[in-house]
Amino acid sequence: MTTWKEILKDDIPPEMGKLIDTYEAQMELRKQGKLDEKVFAEARLRKGVYGQRYDNGQRHDGVRTRDLAYPSGETVKGPDTLWDAPGMQRIKIPYGGLTAEQLEVLSELADEYSDGILHITTRQDIQLHYVHIDDTPDLMRRLAAVDITTQEACGNSVRNITACTLAGVCHDEVFDVSPYADAMTHFLLNHDDVQDFGRKFKVAFSGCAGHACGLVKMHDLGLLAQTRDIDGQTVRGFTVFVGGGLGTVPHQAKVLAEFCTEAELLPLTQAVARVFARLGEKKNRNRARIKFLVAKLGIDEFRREVEAELQTVPPDDRHTGYIADLSDFTYHPAKAGMALNGAQLPDGFAEWYRTNVYRQVQTGYSTITLNTPLGDFTAEQGFQLADIARRYVGDNIRLSVEQNVILRWVADADLPAIYRDLCEIGLGDANAGTIVDITTCPGTDTCKLGIASSRGLTAELRTRLIEKINLLPDAVRELKIKVSGCFNSCGQHHVADIGFFGNSRRSGNHKMPHFQVVLGGQWQQNAGSYGLAVGAVPAKSVPEVLEALTNRYVAERGQGENFQTWVKDLGRKEIKAMLQPFMKLPSFEERPAHFSDWGDSRVYTIDDIGVGECAGEVVSLFSMEISKAESTQFEALLALDDGDYHMADEQAYKAMVMAARALVRTKYLDVGEDYDKIVQEFRSRFYDTELIYDRFAKGKFARYLFKRHEGAPARVDEDYAHQIIDETQLFIENVHSAEQRINGVIVA
Amino acid sequence: MTIVPKRLGVKFSLKRATTLQPDDILPIFQRWIQEHRVEGMLIDVVDYKHVPDGPGVVLIADEADYAYDLTDGKTGLNYIRKRDLPVDLEAALRLCFSRALAAAGALETEAPGDLAFDYCSAKISFLDRLQYRNLSAACENTRAPVTEILSEVFGSPVAVSRAYDDPRSIFALECRVEGGDVSAEGLLKRLQRAGQLS
Repeated sequence: MTTWKEILKDDIPPEMGKLIDTYEAQMELRKQGKLDEKVFAEARLRKGVYGQRYDNGQRHDGVRTRDLAYPSGETVKGPDTLWDAPGMQRIKIPYGGLTAEQLEVLSELADEYSDGILHITTRQDIQLHYVHIDDTPDLMRRLAAVDITTQEACGNSVRNITACTLAGVCHDEVFDVSPYADAMTHFLLNHDDVQDFGRKFKVAFSGCAGHACGLVKMHDLGLLAQTRDIDGQTVRGFTVFVGGGLGTVPHQAKVLAEFCTEAELLPLTQAVARVFARLGEKKNRNRARIKFLVAKLGIDEFRREVEAELQTVPPDDRHTGYIADLSDFTYHPAKAGMALNGAQLPDGFAEWYRTNVYRQVQTGYSTITLNTPLGDFTAEQGFQLADIARRYVGDNIRLSVEQNVILRWVADADLPAIYRDLCEIGLGDANAGTIVDITTCPGTDTCKLGIASSRGLTAELRTRLIEKINLLPDAVRELKIKVSGCFNSCGQHHVADIGFFGNSRRSGNHKMPHFQVVLGGQWQQNAGSYGLAVGAVPAKSVPEVLEALTNRYVAERGQGENFQTWVKDLGRKEIKAMLQPFMKLPSFEERPAHFSDWGDSRVYTIDDIGVGECAGEVVSLFSMEISKAESTQFEALLALDDGDYHMADEQAYKAMVMAARALVRTKYLDVGEDYDKIVQEFRSRFYDTELIYDRFAKGKFARYLFKRHEGAPARVDEDYAHQIIDETQLFIENVHSAEQRINGVIVA
Repeated sequence: MTIVPKRLGVKFSLKRATTLQPDDILPIFQRWIQEHRVEGMLIDVVDYKHVPDGPGVVLIADEADYAYDLTDGKTGLNYIRKRDLPVDLEAALRLCFSRALAAAGALETEAPGDLAFDYCSAKISFLDRLQYRNLSAACENTRAPVTEILSEVFGSPVAVSRAYDDPRSIFALECRVEGGDVSAEGLLKRLQRAGQLS
């Protein structure tokens, strides 16, 4: 039977194809029990293959916790994560930019491997849920064929790099940050210096200081566009922020550099990454984000470390090479810009125009927002949207951190027509960016850490608010609501006017789902300030709480006073007093409905909470690299089985070099990928010093590598292929033993 | 032998409009998990009713999904087998029909109000673009064997046509019994008689 691998072999970039093949080999090794479950978990997460709720094989059905007897039995894909349990596939969409063709492929995958739904995340990714791990290699190949990767979408790696959705079309931006986000994505992907973090690392670009779009102040690394006059030339660059983050303990980022030029951007980022890898916490995952390192050292000391590190960053043509390519980053609208020309406007158009249309800086063009409920759309909508994109805007599609789809470069004259077409596919709702356009994380629907149903609450609030949207005063319509299912802030509740995050309280012998109310966060000014937690209320009381808050705000606010100022002026004590009536807990007998969560008829429990995989597995760099060598050796075995002896030889040789490199990098991070250099360094550091020596075999296994490095024999047959694969196995074992003896401490 | 797709779905649409809302289905599906009311290793219930023409409310199982499905503007019960399909298309179709039928029957019994499915027609989805692109060639190759199998399943001649024209859509066939009425009981008996249920 034909496979996707065969069909797409000419369409997949070779490097991407190899990474997927390696991952597939790692899957096989894990199933055979030959790859450690933690090492595989981190490798899997770095491919964006994430666990989901109930993947530990247990679920509370509202009466009791039941075992879920997955057919794979005890086979696991990570600690306490059963192989057959459905999972989530996160797909990186750098700065949210999509082509029509990519959207179609994503839609196909949602149909065939998921449940027909594409979910937009708060980091401009796409997520597919209920995906079986066995389907993930083909899913990745189909994405790779249209230049999308899931590489480093999760795990302790550089996550999807985000940027303003208005970049390039904005009235207020200093310059378009899109090509810089693109360049940094390519530069950091699989870079040696970003493989040894204790936690994830999030980067964002923003084109201006005033608006929210890029949210640079809540990122591990935030880049804010600036220009400076230097020697009479206008030079592009960035203010560099570092150490921001939400999570349980939100931190505002600090300014690392007031201005770094575009030529300094990539080496500076590389230096930050090297400092984070070298000094960041590795054991305690709760304090492993870079924000804790910056807080611990202080920004001045952190800056000194980065400046010193910058001197050690090896020269790299890519540091400045990308600048020449920036001008290639252009937009190709489907049509010429043209003003609205007095055509008859469809019903509902005026309201939609008011809330969903942004007039671009380019005359005759607009950017429109598709208000996508809960960030979800169907595969069929994806196909139809691709048609609409081709008809009106070409490949100018983006995804937003507010979980919406954005179409840029719509000719103004086409606005009525595109509105009609969007209404036909159910994506013509008005009120984008208003109080009904609520951001939410997956919560208890699929997340292992979820405590309360953020999606259930969001759906309920959205339904109620849409019903009365026309009656709401502007001051209320403009508010932002963001909901997280727990304190980890994936729904970004800290930067909403009104935020909620899930928790629980006990009433009698029952637990009751609750939401902590967080007020007065600032979305504007790039997430300029964080909100105040003012008290937890039952999940089922949240709609009433929202009504009480907004009513009082409308009644008491001063002329032009915004929500943040009103909250600050009112004070935490007074707000708490306002919430107090809602905080009184009824008994189960009084209000049984309060003991079920939104969108879930089960009696509420917190027994389903599992161990999250957001933090990834803390696995040493050596473990990750040696596992890749092992999977390459496995590919050599497969080639041998296929009778392709030359391929078997090539893969076995490559596996030996990779194993040697894994060991060399424990001493010398920047060894690079040149085979001669790796073997030379390996020889001088481990063979000549006898560190690699086996107690009995001495340097025999290392000499397998040296012999093969001198060249393949003239005749490569089955016997030879067998032999070199066996030798490779012995060499890898030898490297493992040596690393344990040496303990892999990085000394240089 | 006709290739069995990676995933195979059978959907029975409602016979007539109902006052029942997707919200009413949520507790039923949750109860089905508690009571193991339908076949499969039942895991969870997902609510997508906020998405127009979407999968609605889905009962997720390890090897299959049961959806109170809203696609194509036709509410119905959609059974999608995701894993462990028999290698023979007839057996695979019989399995999916029997599971869909059992779930639809259970919903008719347990849902409040006037829920009734139309058992004279069904949509069969071949969720596998590797083997089944939605092209006329796939339709021509598949229509005859499917017609033969379904005519036997329904006990009457069946008309089979391609469900979607868009080549990007999944390959799906609409089938309808030509003349006569088909009851759930009759259909189930015929499926059981074939002795191919697993």
